[in-house]
Amino acid sequence: MTDAAARTNERNQIFRDLFSGKTPKRVPISNPATQDFAIQHAGLDLAECQWDLTKLEPVYDKFCQDFYTDTYPGGSIRIPSHYQILGSTPIVMSSSGFMQHPDVVGMLAEEYDQFIASPYDCIVETILPRLYTGFNGEPGKVAMTLAKAMRAQSDDLAHLGAIRAKMNAKYGFAGMIGALTEAPFDFMADFLRSFKGISGDVRRYPDKVAAACEAVLPLMIKKGTLPNPSMLGYTFIPLHMAPYLRDKDFATLYWPTFKKLVETLASMGQNVQLFVEQDWMRYLDYLYELPENTIMRFEYGDAKVIKEKLGQKHIISGLYPVTLLQTGTKQQCVDKAKELLDILAPGGRYWWQADKSIIHLEASGPVVENLKAVLDYVHENGTY
Amino acid sequence: MDSKYYVTWEEYLAEHPELEGKPQQAIAPKIEKYEDAMFTFIMDLLL
Repeated sequence: MTDAAARTNERNQIFRDLFSGKTPKRVPISNPATQDFAIQHAGLDLAECQWDLTKLEPVYDKFCQDFYTDTYPGGSIRIPSHYQILGSTPIVMSSSGFMQHPDVVGMLAEEYDQFIASPYDCIVETILPRLYTGFNGEPGKVAMTLAKAMRAQSDDLAHLGAIRAKMNAKYGFAGMIGALTEAPFDFMADFLRSFKGISGDVRRYPDKVAAACEAVLPLMIKKGTLPNPSMLGYTFIPLHMAPYLRDKDFATLYWPTFKKLVETLASMGQNVQLFVEQDWMRYLDYLYELPENTIMRFEYGDAKVIKEKLGQKHIISGLYPVTLLQTGTKQQCVDKAKELLDILAPGGRYWWQADKSIIHLEASGPVVENLKAVLDYVHENGTY
Repeated sequence: MDSKYYVTWEEYLAEHPELEGKPQQAIAPKIEKYEDAMFTFIMDLLL
């Protein structure tokens, strides 16, 4: 067995233990820096590298060599080619090469009934043509545009998959697989009604919002279902809108279908990782109700209270503030890692991740050195 | 899922009688795979 294969086995066991509620050999670590960060770290042009993926193998090699992590770092779900081919308005590349998501309205308030009657039909016939110019025009042209876009994405994902396989073989990362879905309410807000639109709908048409969340739930479950549920796979669910809702709206409009989503995925034997965005402290009692060993990566909150309320049942992650890597000294960054390790690691059920992904890298700034110091500290001091 | 843009294997088979007598155990996973691939692609455009 090669050293890399042995490392993969060791890391796989750590995550198997973590996901099943056992105390692992040590606290597992995921590097929070993204593919965008890796490209900038390699000193290459962000836009060019995302269009020409052949440039990414040495980028990832340097990235994996320079920063400790137990899981494959980087990754990207927003590769520009198919968005460009489809004439995307909700996902666009900025002049600096970052893929951005402007606030858009894909569905009008008067289209709720159409959506509730058949969400997928409404998406294909009404929402996508509003958001992607490539879905408009003569049927033959639309069909060809869609075929080109799917082929482009398939080629890009195959290329990124090949790089990932090479890095896994060389560095021995845990063999994780993942699926992505959203809470039904967040799906209605994100690309369909917009932040402003859904905020008004909650007051004007709460029954329609609730019915739309119920109607789209089967699609969200299907989207989040892994081909082969495994102890090393998880469904990733980023949570957006709950902190902006009144308690009673959360209870009636957000929580019921979100809870059903997580419970259904868990009942299929899948792990679920929530990215608990913004501050969910007032909803901790709700989160406690979710199936045991749900992974909860928090953005903000009181680590002690979270550990006390949720740490005996669920797997806690996040909370490390990436802004400190930019503003703090190396010692301050390491001290913060120690503080969180002391609070969250006892008894297991802790996965070291940061509160956010790191996207931008200021070449002359301290982030690279501070991030390395933090990752190394947790690796060396996170043993049980 | 009730949609004219997503068909199960059973619905597909009902629309394609020419497949009778063909190796359906080999055909079904392939047809389902691309039906699901299109579903995933479409939904990813809104995530």
